[in-house]
Amino acid sequence: MKNTIFAFKNIHVQVESKEVVRGVSLEIGPGEKHAIMGKNGSGKSSLANALAGHPAYEITKGEAYINGQNLLEMDATERARAGLFLAFQYPLAIPGVTVANFLRSAVRARNGGDESVLKTFRKDLMEMFAFLEIDKSFAARYINDGFSGGEKKRLEILQMAMLKPKMAILDETDSGLDIDALKIVSKGINQASPSDGGVLLITHYQRLLNYVKPDYVHVMMDGRIVQSGGPELALKLEDQGYDWLESKNARAVEV
Amino acid sequence: MITDTIDFRKTAKNEPEWLYKLRRDSWSAYHDSPLPDRVVHLWRYTPPEQFLINDPHDAMTAAIPMPKGNGHKIKTLTEVQAALGYNLSDMTTLTQLTPELSEQGVRFLDLATAIETGAGPVQEYLGKLISSDFGKFEAANMALWNIGFYLYIPDNVVIEKPIYLNRIPTGTNTMTRLLVVAGKNSQATLIDNYRDQAESAAGQFNSIIEIFADDHSRLRYVGLQDFSEKITGYITQRSRIGNQTDLLTVQSILGGTVSKVNTGTILDGRGGNSRIYGLLFGDNNQHFDLHTLHNHRSHEAYSNIDVKVVLKDKATSAYTGLIRIEEKTVNNEAYQENRNLLLNHGPKAESIPELEILSDEVRCTHGATMGPLDPDMIFYLKSRGIDYKQAVRMIVSGFFEPTLKNIPDDLHDAVNGIILDKLEKH
Ligand SMILES: Nc1ncnc2c1ncn2[C@@H]1O[C@H](COP(=O)(O)OP(=O)(O)OP(=O)(O)O)[C@@H](O)[C@H]1O
Ligand SMILES: [Mg+2]
Repeated sequence: MKNTIFAFKNIHVQVESKEVVRGVSLEIGPGEKHAIMGKNGSGKSSLANALAGHPAYEITKGEAYINGQNLLEMDATERARAGLFLAFQYPLAIPGVTVANFLRSAVRARNGGDESVLKTFRKDLMEMFAFLEIDKSFAARYINDGFSGGEKKRLEILQMAMLKPKMAILDETDSGLDIDALKIVSKGINQASPSDGGVLLITHYQRLLNYVKPDYVHVMMDGRIVQSGGPELALKLEDQGYDWLESKNARAVEV
Repeated sequence: MITDTIDFRKTAKNEPEWLYKLRRDSWSAYHDSPLPDRVVHLWRYTPPEQFLINDPHDAMTAAIPMPKGNGHKIKTLTEVQAALGYNLSDMTTLTQLTPELSEQGVRFLDLATAIETGAGPVQEYLGKLISSDFGKFEAANMALWNIGFYLYIPDNVVIEKPIYLNRIPTGTNTMTRLLVVAGKNSQATLIDNYRDQAESAAGQFNSIIEIFADDHSRLRYVGLQDFSEKITGYITQRSRIGNQTDLLTVQSILGGTVSKVNTGTILDGRGGNSRIYGLLFGDNNQHFDLHTLHNHRSHEAYSNIDVKVVLKDKATSAYTGLIRIEEKTVNNEAYQENRNLLLNHGPKAESIPELEILSDEVRCTHGATMGPLDPDMIFYLKSRGIDYKQAVRMIVSGFFEPTLKNIPDDLHDAVNGIILDKLEKH
C-alpha cells in the first residue's frame, strides 16, 4: 500500500435503512487532489457525511484510515481533531452563535484545547476574511444565519483555512457561486490545501476543476465508483454526460 | 383574625386610613373568593392551591420594627449602579441612590416609608394596575404586603446606569411589592433580582410589580428569578405605557420549584412600543408557568413577545400568551413567538397563544415551535472538532443569545452563567 493520508476500503453506508453507498474504496496520498463526480442521488454526500461521522449515515461495512489511524473508531469530534474536514453541501445555520466565537472554539478544539494557538487568532481571522473577500462584519454574525448561498460556501472555506485540516472533503463547494466568487473560493481552497495533505472535491462541474486541478477523477453511480481516471475524465463527462457510463455499467451488470 | 394584624400595622407602622381600608378590603377579596377556575388557560397547567397563604400572620407580624443598626448597614453603590435596594430576611429594606439623582428629584425607597413620608405620589398608583379584583393571590398580596419598594422618576430625568433591586424571602410567606412611577421623557433600567440564601426557609414568595410609564419615557425592566428549589414563586407584573413610550420587559425565570409568572403591558398611548422577552431554563422537577399579555388600547402601537424555553430532566413548562387589540383602535402591530427546546425525553412544554382582536386594522402574527436539539447542528459543530458537551452549550447559549443581547452586559453574562451551570449539572 502506498503512503496515504486518507484511505477507505469497501465502504457501505446506510441511511434510513436504505443502502446508498455500496462498496467504495479510495486512497489519497500526500499532496493529492481527487474529484468525485456523479449524478444527483448517486451517494456522494452520503459518503462524505458518513466519513465525517454523521450519526444518520451508518457505515455498515468497510474500513477507513486517516494518517494511519482507524477513522471508524472515532466519533465526529475526534475525526475532526485528527485532521478531517468536511465542507458541507448545505451548511447549516446555527442561530445565536457568532462566527468569531464558533471559530475560536473550533480552532482551540482542533489543537487539542491549546490556548496558545489563539494568540494570533484575531489577526489570522481578519487576514482570511480579507483573502476570501468576506466583509469583517461577518465575524459578529450568527453562523450561516441569513447568509446567501455563496456566502455560506465562502464561510466553509474560511473554516477550512482556519482549521488547517490534513484531509478536506469539499462537497459541492462550487455550487451556487458566481464566476468571481468561484475564483476567490478556488484561491482559498488552493491556499488552504496543505502540501502534505489530501483534498477530495465533490462537484458537478468541470468549471471548478479548472481552478483547483485534480490529480484523479472518479465517477460515482448508484453508490459505487464506476470509473476512475485523470483530469481528462471530467472533460469527457462535461462533454458527453453520464449516458455512456450508464450503458457501459448496465452491460457490466448483465455480464 | 388577620384583621387584628392589619389593625396592628396601622398603629405600629402609621399606615394611613386609605391603605388600611385597601388592605382590609383586599383581605376580604382574598378570603371570600373561590380558587381560580382551572378551565381558563391561565390556570390550566398549575394547581392554584399551592399559592394559598399558609400563614398570613407570619407574612405580617414579623413587621415589628427592627432596630436599624447591626447588620443593617447599606452596601455602598458600585460604579455601575445608579441605585441599589434590597431586603433582608428580617423584612428590613435598604435603599441607596446617587446624590445627583436624588437632587434631580428621583425617589427610591421603602414603599411603606414613601407612603408615610409622602415622598412621592403613591395613593393614585398603588393597586391601580393590579387591584384586588385582579386575582385571588394578587388580593392576598395587597392585603398582606410587608416589603415594598418605590421608584419615582420625575419628568425629563434620564438615569443612565441601571438600578438594582435584590429581593430575598423573609420566611415561609414573603409578600413583596414594587411600584414604579416614571414621568414624561424619563429613562431608566431596573434590574430586579430574586434569589434565596442557603439559610432561607422553604416557602412561598408572592411579588407584585406595577409600572407606570408616562409619555415618551423609555424604560427597561429586567427580572431575574434564580430561587433554589425550596421556593414556590408567584409573580404578577403589569405596566402601563403612554404615548410614544418604549418599554422592554425581560423575565428570566430560572429557579424555584414552581414558578408562576404573569407579565403584561397595557399600551395605553399612541405609538407605544412594548417588547416582552421571556427566558426560561428548567431542570430536575421544576415547573414554570408563564403568561404574557399585550393589551393595545390605543393606536399605532407596536408590541412583540419572544419567549424562549429550554427544559431538561423532568422539568415542565406552560406558556400562555394573550394579545388583545381593543375595538376602534387602528394600525396596531402585535407579534408573538414562543420557542421551546427540549433537551432530553423527560421534559414537557405547552404553548398556547390566544388572540382577541376586536379591530380590523391590525397586523398580528404568532407562532410556536417545540422540539429537541437538532442533531444536524450538533454534527456541524462536532465536525469542527468541538465536543458534544460544548456543542450543546453553544447551541443552548445561542438559542437565548438574540434575546439576551437586549439586556445589560453584566446581566447578560450572569444569566448565561446560570444557564450554563444548570446545563452542567449531572
Ligand atoms: N438523511 C437522509 N435521509 C433519507 N435519505 C437520504 C438522506 N441522505 C441521503 N439520502 C438518500 O440517499 C441517496 C443519495 O443521496 P446523496 O445526498 O448522497 O446524493 P448526492 O450524490 O450527494 O446527490 P447530489 O448531487 O444531488 O448532491 C438519495 O437517494 C437520497 O435521497
Ligand atoms: Mg450531494
